[in-house]
Order: sequence, then C-alpha cells, then structure tokens
Amino acid sequence: MANPLTPAERARAGRDLVGVVVAIAAATAVCAALDGVISLTSQAMVYLFAVVAASYALDRVGAIASAVGAVTAFNFFFVPPRYTLAVEHREHLIALVAMLAVALLVSTLSAALKRETAAAHASETRARQLRELAAGLLAAERESDVLRIGREALARRFTGPVFLVGARDGEVDDRTAIPDDVARGLRCCVGEAAVLGPGTGRWPGLDAWYVPLGPRDSVVGAACVAPADAADAVGREHAEAIAALLAQAIGRLRLAEANLATSAALQRQHLQSTFLAAVSHDLRTPLTAIVAAASSLQQQRARLPVGEQDRLLAAIVADASHLSAVTENTLQLVRLAAGGEALRLEWQAVEEIVGSVVARLRARPGGDRIGVRIAADLPLVRGDATLLGQLVGNLLDNALKYSEGPVQLVALRAGKRLLVSVKDRGGGVGEADRARVFEPFYRGGRIGATRGAGLGLALCKAIADVHGASLVVSARPRGGTRFTLALPVEAQPEAALAT
Amino acid sequence: MSLAVLVVEDDREIRDVLRASLAAEGFDVLTAVSLSEAAALLDHARVDVVVLDLGLPDGDGAELVRRIRRTSSLPVVIASARHQEAEKIALLDAGADDFLTKPFAVGELLARIRVALRHRGTAVQPAITRYDAGGLVIDLDAHRVERNGEALHLTPTEFNVVACLVRADGRVVTHRQLLVDVWGAEHIDDVHYLRLYMAQLRAKLEDVPSEPRHLVTETGVGYRLATE
Repeated sequence: MANPLTPAERARAGRDLVGVVVAIAAATAVCAALDGVISLTSQAMVYLFAVVAASYALDRVGAIASAVGAVTAFNFFFVPPRYTLAVEHREHLIALVAMLAVALLVSTLSAALKRETAAAHASETRARQLRELAAGLLAAERESDVLRIGREALARRFTGPVFLVGARDGEVDDRTAIPDDVARGLRCCVGEAAVLGPGTGRWPGLDAWYVPLGPRDSVVGAACVAPADAADAVGREHAEAIAALLAQAIGRLRLAEANLATSAALQRQHLQSTFLAAVSHDLRTPLTAIVAAASSLQQQRARLPVGEQDRLLAAIVADASHLSAVTENTLQLVRLAAGGEALRLEWQAVEEIVGSVVARLRARPGGDRIGVRIAADLPLVRGDATLLGQLVGNLLDNALKYSEGPVQLVALRAGKRLLVSVKDRGGGVGEADRARVFEPFYRGGRIGATRGAGLGLALCKAIADVHGASLVVSARPRGGTRFTLALPVEAQPEAALAT
Repeated sequence: MSLAVLVVEDDREIRDVLRASLAAEGFDVLTAVSLSEAAALLDHARVDVVVLDLGLPDGDGAELVRRIRRTSSLPVVIASARHQEAEKIALLDAGADDFLTKPFAVGELLARIRVALRHRGTAVQPAITRYDAGGLVIDLDAHRVERNGEALHLTPTEFNVVACLVRADGRVVTHRQLLVDVWGAEHIDDVHYLRLYMAQLRAKLEDVPSEPRHLVTETGVGYRLATE
C-alpha cells in the first residue's frame, strides 16, 4: 500500500508478525522434540498445521509470511542437509511449494470468509439501524424532530461532520449554522436532486457525500456526510437508505400539514358563508320591515287611520333598535375574534353592570317581566364593563324573546366564582342544541321564527372567554332554560378607608 | 329669544333630521359638517349648546372642546358610536358636558340638551347645591341627606362623592373626574374605590339598590344623578 500505515494498522502488523514467529517456533519445537521418532513427512505436516492455523487467523501478508517462514524453518532445521537452506531432493522442493500453495489458499479462503462475515455483520447492523430509524421517524410529529433523528442516525455511521437540512420548492431552509461551502453543496444537491461526491460521477473531488432527500421534483431536504470514500459503496448506500427514510417521513408530515391547511380553509369558508347568510338574514329582515313601514307612511299616510300610522312608526323604531343591537353584536364579535383591541379590564361591580342593563331593558315591551336578585356584598370582578353589560343584556334579551313568563336574574358568590344566572320558563333548549347554541348563527332550527338570536349567544361566549369565565346552558327542573356565567373571583383590591 | 344649537355632524341625513327635530322644539339650529366649520361658526355666531359628532373628516373633536373650554362654559354634548368609547371619555375628561350613544332617539337628545342647558353661564350663576327628586333630597349647604323624609348619615367620603354628582346637576361625571375630585390625582386609576363607595351609597340612597333610580351608572364612563 502506498499510503502510510495508520497507528492501528502498524500495531496489527506487529501483532501478526509476533503470531507468525510464535506459530513457526512452536512447530519447530514440536518437530525437534519428535525428531527421529516421526518421519520427515510427518514433521512437514506439523509445519503445515502451523501454516494453516496462522493463515486462518492472519491476513494474506501474514499467511504468505508464515508459509515462507515455515518452509524456511523446515528446510533449515529438518530437511537434509540440515542447517543449510540447500534442498537435496526434488521431492522436498515439491513439498515446500505445496506448503506455500496451501498457505495462500487457506489464507485467501479465510480472508474471504472473514470479509463475508464482517459484511453480513455490517449489513445486519445497518438493517437494524434503519429499522430503528424508521420506527423513530413514525413517532416524529414535527419536521425538526425528523431532522434531529436523521442527524443522529447519520452520525452513528459517519464520523465526520454531518449536516442535514430541510428544503422546500428547491430552496434549502438555511436557518441552522452551516459552513458556506457545505451550504453551497447542499443547495446544489437539492437543485440537481442527485447524490454528489466521491464515486458518484458527480463532483468526485468533494471530501463528503451530498445526498438529496427524496426523488427529483419532490426533494424535501439534503444531507452532507463525511468521510466519503469512492470505494465505500456500502457507506454511500447506507446514507442513501437513511435519506430515503427521512424523505418519506418529511413527506408524510408535509402532506398532513397541507391536508390540515386545506380543511381549515374549507372550514373558514364554510363559517364565512354561514356568517354572510346569517348577517344578511339578520340585517335584511328588520330593514325590510323598516322600508315597508316607512314607505307605507310616505305614500299612504292620508288613507291610513291614525292608530295604524302609530303602529307603523312604532315598528320602525323597534326594528331600527333591533338592527342596531344586531350590528353592535356583529361588530363586537368580529372585534373580539380579531383580538386586536386591548381589553379595558378594571374592577367592576356586577350589581352596577346588571343595574344599568336592567334599567335599559325595563323601558322595552316585556321589560317588567325581569326580576333581579343580587346577593349583598358581592366581590368585585376584573372585566370590561361594556362587554359584560352586553353579555348580560343579550342573555336577558334572549330570555324575554323566547319566553312569555317571568325572567329572573340572580347573582351570587360560590367559592372562587361569582355566578350570574338568567332563568326563564320558556320552551327550553333541547339536549341536542345545548352544545351548539353558542356557535355563531346557530338557531336550533328556529331560523326565520325569531330574529338575530344566533349571534347574541356566540358573542356572550366570546365575552365570557376573554374574561376567563365559563358560560353554560342547562334545562331547569320544571321547564325553561338557565344560562349561568361563572366569573373568576380574584384577590380583592385594597379598599379605600371606609370613611 | 330662542336658544341656538350648533349641530356638528358630517352625515347629511342625520344633520337634516336633527335640524328638523330641534327646530320643531323651538331651537335656532346651526349646522357644521366639519370641525373647522364649527370653529368658524363659534367665532361669529351666538351658540348656546353644541352637539358634537365624533369621527369628523377633519380630525380630533378634543381640540374643539379644549378650544371652547379655554374661553367659555358653553355646553357640549358628544354623540358617539360604541367603538369610539375611549375618545368619548377623553372628551368628557377634557370638559365636554355629556354624551349620547349612537344610534339615539330624539327624546334622548332633547333630554341631554335640556340638562346641558341648565348650566349656561354656571360661571356667574351660583353653583348647584341641591338635589331633590323621587323622595331623595341632598342639600350640600346644609350638609343634609334625606330619603323619604328621613335623615341619612353619610361618611365624609360618601358625602364628597354625592356632592360631586349633585354639582354636576344631572350631567355624567367620569370615573377620572370623581377620583381626582374626591381622592386626589394620585388615585386616578383606583376605579375600585368608586365601585365600593357607589355600592355603599346605593344601599343608603336607593329603595332598590340593584335597580337604582338616582345613582345612574353610565357603563364604562362614569355616574350621574338622574334628574328627570
């Protein structure tokens, strides 16, 4: 070998030499001990045994050395004329040549056997590593996990620096710290979608292999591994096998991601069309009534009895107020959903919020059906008064709309919660509808029957959410519905001196 | 001589309706479509009360309110939509007298204007020191509070809070104004003081504390004493 020997190789060569010397010395000693007792042929057999043993254990160089050494020692010590290297009979010459041939043959066979054993062992190790890698990749939920697992797998086989990056649309995600030349190689590898480096016919001058993840048109990344030897086809294949597994895993994750995005987009689209349908219903219905009433007054006033004129005017005011409420709810819901505006969370007294809402609703038809019971000494809660007022107002409004009887508002403290319940004796909410009443625009099949209820509860839920509160609906034992808002009670602020 | 109202509103329909309704109530109605036009009118015409829309094309209503307050106590009523709440409160703190939330009924507008007009020339008139409505009598000079003919005892701070509202005479008093007047500027953010004292006051002054008739909460803005 032209290459200088590595320290390990030098040490092995030294061990082999010692082995050869020991084997020949042992054979010589045995033959000397049995000299005169056994024939020269048998002595040759003893040497042959030593050569076979040494050839089996050592490599080809050791085998040749042992054959030459054995023949020389046999010739020197035992073949007449003894203690010379001259050979007397042609027979002995044949024996010596045969011994050399046997030594080479045995050494070649054993070396081949060892190579195959080692190859089988290595390929089994590789297969096991690939199996483990495949299993590890199945559990990976993120692309970064896949890359981390891939780097570990490559580092187990390749001792040089290992780099692994993802790529999208032919572009490397170059976010990790990678030397410039490696980054260039990775980009090129992704671009060409082919293995680059020694023994590949592409860029053989490189000192590393660049392996793309995935076939042309769907390269999802690239790896750079070293050391790379043109002769190490097995190593290159191993790297390619790992790359194939990684490509599969990343491909699977990206497909799932794309599916998720598609279904989210579909859901958004669905929500948007529901939103539009509901808003246009909620807005158009009162608008239609207003236009009809106003135009009737405009064109037929002289022919309408005074009572009828008053009724039309009252309808215009009522529908316009309703329109205003629907608009306010829609805008507030959109604002909360957008989440851009900061909430004004201040200490609030529930009694105050309820008081001003009830005062407003009392003026409406049916407002006298509301009964209020508020426990004394309720703690303050942190919240946005306008939003909480809107929540309570919507609940009361709904209760008035969907029931004929009394509507009760109760506020009390229960441990670390402040409960505000709105109860009615109306038709109630069916078991099946209960989970869905808070969905935007859900009406429980009542669409058209009553106006604009779908949005109010969705807004109530959104307001409860931003206050860290829960809002649940339940059926009352003897008919009717109860909505309960549970606001968290925090440590109370330091009170001003009560003077 | 009839009273003059200046309506500052950029929407023509709303302006026309307000002009008609206010004229029907006997007011002289001036209109402006922008802050600059309003400022010009204020310089050259006699105005007794201003109804100021928020969100005008040429900018910040606060500027106009501050300008008015530098020279007069001319009543200003703000008309704003819900999403302009922060701006509305800023204007009230800057000296505007009261507010209306859009959409509003004409009756509400007239009520606000009536309350605001009671303050014409408060700078020269004696300050309001007495409240008497629905069985509740508060006399600041005599330091007396009676409910249904029965004398009530208020703590000094409670009395100061009530006095603030009485002097406002039906106009809204913002949280900041109350906190600064009663507790001092360093307590400007201690809204919880108000919550606690208002609860105490409602318990003493109201027949049904959970549905107050005198101490009215203007959600998110402040409090007022109901005068009508």
